[in-house]
Amino acid sequence: MQQVDVLVIGAGPAGVEAALAWKARGNDVLLVDEQDAVGGSLRWTLQAVMPGHSSGIAWAEDAAARLAAAGVQVQLNTIVWGMFPDNVVAISQADTSTTLQASTTIVATGGTDRVSAFPGWELPGVITATAARRLLHLHRVLPGDRVAVIGSGWLADAVSEDISRCGGTVVARAPGVTDVAVSGTTQAETIVIGDTATAVDTVVIALGMQPDPELALHRSPETAWNAATQAPLPRRDGRGQTSVPGLYVCGAAAGAALPSIAAQDGAATAAASDAMLDIWLQTPVRAEHASDDVVLCRCEQITAGAVRQALRENATTLNDVKRRTRAGMGLCQGCFCMPAVARLLLDEAGVDPETIEPMTARPPARALPLRSLARLYE
Amino acid sequence: MARRIEHHPAGDRPAGATVTFTCNGEQIEARVGDTLATALLLAGVRTLRTMPDSAAPRGLFCDIGRCTDCLMVVDDELSVRSCVTPVRDGMVVETQPGLGVWKVAEHAAG
Repeated sequence: MQQVDVLVIGAGPAGVEAALAWKARGNDVLLVDEQDAVGGSLRWTLQAVMPGHSSGIAWAEDAAARLAAAGVQVQLNTIVWGMFPDNVVAISQADTSTTLQASTTIVATGGTDRVSAFPGWELPGVITATAARRLLHLHRVLPGDRVAVIGSGWLADAVSEDISRCGGTVVARAPGVTDVAVSGTTQAETIVIGDTATAVDTVVIALGMQPDPELALHRSPETAWNAATQAPLPRRDGRGQTSVPGLYVCGAAAGAALPSIAAQDGAATAAASDAMLDIWLQTPVRAEHASDDVVLCRCEQITAGAVRQALRENATTLNDVKRRTRAGMGLCQGCFCMPAVARLLLDEAGVDPETIEPMTARPPARALPLRSLARLYE
Repeated sequence: MARRIEHHPAGDRPAGATVTFTCNGEQIEARVGDTLATALLLAGVRTLRTMPDSAAPRGLFCDIGRCTDCLMVVDDELSVRSCVTPVRDGMVVETQPGLGVWKVAEHAAG
């Protein structure tokens, strides 16, 4: 089995700075990412979110050069799909899996889009803010002629600005999903916001981002409710180490609200100081609830009504709801429904947030072809 | 309708070479560097799979390989995430009904 001193998972701002900082302290560092270039979400960020760089895109290009100059080993197109005892990590590259062992593993897997269910949100044409920004800035494609944007924070403003700057038109905006419905026969055709109907071909859900520390959860670190992100997150010491020795979580995966803060948080994992960084923004997450007939779990097509029924039957944890309804058991592994289920537990079942733990996370973290496992035990 | 951005605010890139693939038997042109889901979006194909039981249409949602709403049958392989799969010349692509049906299973049943 391949051995490394430090494995960094995720090449966004936190992962890049963590890799550089550990390398500078004389460690052998391997940085892996499932994308085909380094930079994480900054590869599709047009705004000047990093000091000294004209755009996120410019920072990402510079990051690749800095890693090369420092001699950090970078492995792209690489999916980390499992974390096991004894610091064994399973990775897949070109549909072939191998394992490696790292003395220190740093999970810098960033965030995913915070979504909220509303009527018609499963229709083709309704996309996340990340999808919109990847289409615009990576694929260089305007997703449609008539775009509606849902959300009221920096992300919604950024996406709206991006669409305009790329020559597109935002025809409607809604502050959140309450009183929003999208309809169409096989794709989004109309959005109704309050009493106003608007013809659309694309709807962007831009409510904000949520931490995505799923891989770290494979090792069952202690978690605690994080009020700023309204999510249960791994507990960390001042350098981002979890309760599992050698396992760190940093950056947006730990709840960092901004890329520049994520970068500092990544660098701090290798720092001498144990000073705890304040990485969270105290912007309240909007509490919005779907009506009973709306699909909450996209993968398993579980409605909000079915989840409420589980709550009436005394489900008090995310795992209770998952086992009773299958919400969170699908291919996305709860990535897109867990926050909505947590909201119902908090607001409608009156569960104490301090008791909320993540749904149990198990390998594989991504859907893999079985053939990719064939060489593991050769 | 989706369209290519001819002049991007971050600067233009050279266009990739043209490739041709088929989706449900229809020939579609794309450029090297496009993902399958992007090429289909540009061709006006929005439904990439239908769901088990409900047969509800699903299309590109997260574009980063997480949600699996974009699963398609690619060169006879089921459940390929079209949003993170680069398009290749001569690819044979089909929308995936539900969990899909392996061709080998059909032969075995026959």
